[in-house]
Amino acid sequence: MNLLNNFSKNKTEDSLQPSRRKFLIGAVNSALVMAFAPLTMSLTASASEVIKQNGFSPSIWFEINTLGEITVHVARCEMGQHVGTALAQIVAEELGANWDDIRVEHASSDPKWGFVMTGGSWSVFQMYKPLSQAGAAGRITLIEAGAKLLGVAPKSCDLKDSKVISGNKSVTFAEIIKQGKFDRTFTPEEMNKLPIKSPDKRHTIGFDRLALDVPPKTNGKAVYGIDVELEGMVYARPIIPPTRYGSKVLSVDDSNAKQIKGYLGYEILKDQSNWIEGWVSVIAESYHSAIKASDAIKVSYKSGDTTNVSEQDIIEEGRKLVNTKSAGVLFVNDGDIDKAFDSAASTLDATYITHTAMHFQMEPLNALAEFKDGVWHIHCGNQSHSLTLPAVAKALGVSDDSVIVHQYYLGGGFGRRAYGDYAIPAALTAKQYGKPVKLIFTRPDDAKFDQARSASVQKVSAAINDKNELVGYEHNISAGWPTLSMAPGFMPKGIDNTGNFDPFSTSGSDHWYTIANNRVRTINNPLAQKTFTPGWLRSVGPGWISFGAESFIDEVAHELKKDPVEMRLAMLDGKGKNSGHHPQSVHGAKRLKFVLENCKKAANWGQKLPKNEGLGIATSFGQEREMPTWIACAAHVAVNPTSGEITVKKIFMTIDCGTVVHPDSALAQIEGSILWGVSLALHEGTEVRDGNYVATNFHNYTPLRMNNMPEMDINFVESKEFPVGLGEPGVIAVAPAIANAVFNATGIRLRELPMKPEHIRQQSKQA
Amino acid sequence: MIEFNLNGKAVRIDAPDDTPLLWVIRDEFGLKGTKFGCGIAMCGACTVHLDGAAVRSCSMPISMAQGKNVSTIEGFEGKHPLQEAWIEEQVPQCGYCQSGQIMQAATLLEQNGSPTDEEISAHMSANICRCMAYPRIKKAIKSAAEKSNSAVNVYDPASSVEG
Ligand code: FES
Ligand code: FES
Repeated sequence: MNLLNNFSKNKTEDSLQPSRRKFLIGAVNSALVMAFAPLTMSLTASASEVIKQNGFSPSIWFEINTLGEITVHVARCEMGQHVGTALAQIVAEELGANWDDIRVEHASSDPKWGFVMTGGSWSVFQMYKPLSQAGAAGRITLIEAGAKLLGVAPKSCDLKDSKVISGNKSVTFAEIIKQGKFDRTFTPEEMNKLPIKSPDKRHTIGFDRLALDVPPKTNGKAVYGIDVELEGMVYARPIIPPTRYGSKVLSVDDSNAKQIKGYLGYEILKDQSNWIEGWVSVIAESYHSAIKASDAIKVSYKSGDTTNVSEQDIIEEGRKLVNTKSAGVLFVNDGDIDKAFDSAASTLDATYITHTAMHFQMEPLNALAEFKDGVWHIHCGNQSHSLTLPAVAKALGVSDDSVIVHQYYLGGGFGRRAYGDYAIPAALTAKQYGKPVKLIFTRPDDAKFDQARSASVQKVSAAINDKNELVGYEHNISAGWPTLSMAPGFMPKGIDNTGNFDPFSTSGSDHWYTIANNRVRTINNPLAQKTFTPGWLRSVGPGWISFGAESFIDEVAHELKKDPVEMRLAMLDGKGKNSGHHPQSVHGAKRLKFVLENCKKAANWGQKLPKNEGLGIATSFGQEREMPTWIACAAHVAVNPTSGEITVKKIFMTIDCGTVVHPDSALAQIEGSILWGVSLALHEGTEVRDGNYVATNFHNYTPLRMNNMPEMDINFVESKEFPVGLGEPGVIAVAPAIANAVFNATGIRLRELPMKPEHIRQQSKQA
Repeated sequence: MIEFNLNGKAVRIDAPDDTPLLWVIRDEFGLKGTKFGCGIAMCGACTVHLDGAAVRSCSMPISMAQGKNVSTIEGFEGKHPLQEAWIEEQVPQCGYCQSGQIMQAATLLEQNGSPTDEEISAHMSANICRCMAYPRIKKAIKSAAEKSNSAVNVYDPASSVEG
């Protein structure tokens, strides 16, 4: 199962997928334009006519103008990963283009793009092939036109430095565009057969280019959603009700707000989709006045039924679920797990808990909404038009085609801006108040409306045979499910057909170790689900599931008196279902074995360390089994036995993500991911109390700062294989590597995230 | 009416005394490079210079700017050595914190032409980068320090006005 396909197949017609579309090359307004068109679109006219008549602008993939400037249209958002640069590199490679000629445009919403989501570490993985092929089609077209101008055979031509070259003759792209005529259509079959440059001829992919979005982010010029202004707009701040669902406003008293200069009034929001209930929006001439006025307004509510829910309640619910036989949905069922346990010489189990973790992306949630000429214009940074637009339309009670979502830079996404529900209160306020409204969440508002990573409970059990071998492995996992709340149509059925499950909250349990008998059950935690909206947080399911899985493998190794690295290597035999497949997981588990061996060496596994210091190792395979980013991580920690404080001294990481398109961005993603991993393992985490998250701002939610940064030793495997994702996978193995290192340093096994000094103190007292 | 210098230009504004400098800079004068992150002086996204010192504009009432020099990221006009180093080291990810990081780092270099790793960490730990571009922030500060290697070279447009 590929999660991405699962996402897109349900929502978009197949005809919108690039592999099912015709590719058109034509001249429009004297620019060379390359666009995809659905197969169903009749092509009686020339390609140029079709592009012109259909006002194709949004689904144009790239264009070259008479100045030779090449604009690549990217239907992905920029939230720190420099995705525009990497995607443009793929096109530039095939075109033989000069990097200086490349521009990137980030597209606004349009159904012609098909299902769009910047998340899941999918972008390069998903776009690599269609963009290469689109570039290759452009290359052929330019060569044909250039050859004609040069009076040579196309066969003798090559592309370099934005020129068509044949022997010592050459003509620039700009000249070709000025003089050439272009009308060409490629069928999907022809596109599929186009030769893509072989890796040894590459001049752009795999080389560093200065990221195109960096300069405006150093001089204050980059425009984020929060920076957008419109003529005649007013400001608004929401007053968020006491429970996430089911609250109702009984009365509003704004008598104290009336003294505040700039206060304009309030609206009790009427959401036709009921996604938000009991919200009041406070409107003012300035944002500061909106903040002051909302603080002065008294709202009385009838609350929903989650006002008393606590973190402990959610965890107890999870504990009950993972211990209930046959709860949830069957996800993996290899061999005969019951028999393995019945005939085991010994068994072992452990329960792992992760606490509520939050996004705290740097730019607080915000959106600007305007109704103009019958269309709703929503201005905000978001990770997915395809999820956000219909949600806004439904809340407003209008059809999808009367909403346009305009894209900006995102001051962090990390999954919070995938389902852009923060645009709903902005749109409703604009509708009810009758003016363009810029609604901004203060940081505490943002925290209150976060879609946190749900607290989770997982129980892992092992069956050991009389030869001291691990022969049975059972994993029950339970948490609130983001996909159930925000995209329920995207949940596949379990293998026993008992129900649907959230693949994003399950991925990571389908490991690549060969173990004869293996069963995984994935279970929704209904109490978490109704108390808050569980969210996709960078690294999503694997981010907490692997903490259990990779800690447990270590526990088993210690129990069996085996070296935890050697035991893993032995299970990574690449046999059977673990042999992988072409193209993305070719060689399967053997690649994981390779990175583990490499990391073992880099970290000098087995070295003698001072007292209270330890090395721990863990592996991960990216966001999903069908798109494996092979990673091994070693953590070197020091534990203060008295205070219990854990210091991460150094993280070693070896990564095989196939072809690296943009090495410097890849490195930046891994640096950031490792630090995220450390931060989630030690510094973050909150709890639910009285139906809300306890954390409200950066004083009580404390991501890692520069003074807690460990050293990092990062190694990428040189590879020509199909590129996979990089935005999240670096996070996953860090927490279990730290937990395993703490055990090796102290003999104390931590089974809870975040790992806190008091956990160490408690356990050392008990010992 | 409050009057102050903004990036070397005299400006005046009629806003309630308790309005945070941040919102005046952003929404009244349209300089959007200074960002809102927390509103309680805990993240550094809103850092600007007040008479050359790094301050959190989210928590500074506009009345305190009266008669002072305020400079923002825009005032550096892309010419500050840190800005060049930021591009060279490809520091920004989402970029949202980076105006604040640069403004904060600039005051370090003014006091200390060749800061050590520890000094950089101590000074910069007031600023959060949620993307955790910390290794590059550190590298860029070091490389800018090495290049200018002197505090007097730091570009400050306000100084040309004040003389
Ligand atoms: S917004 Fe001012 S310090 Fe965070
Ligand atoms: S670059 Fe994103 S918060 Fe620093």
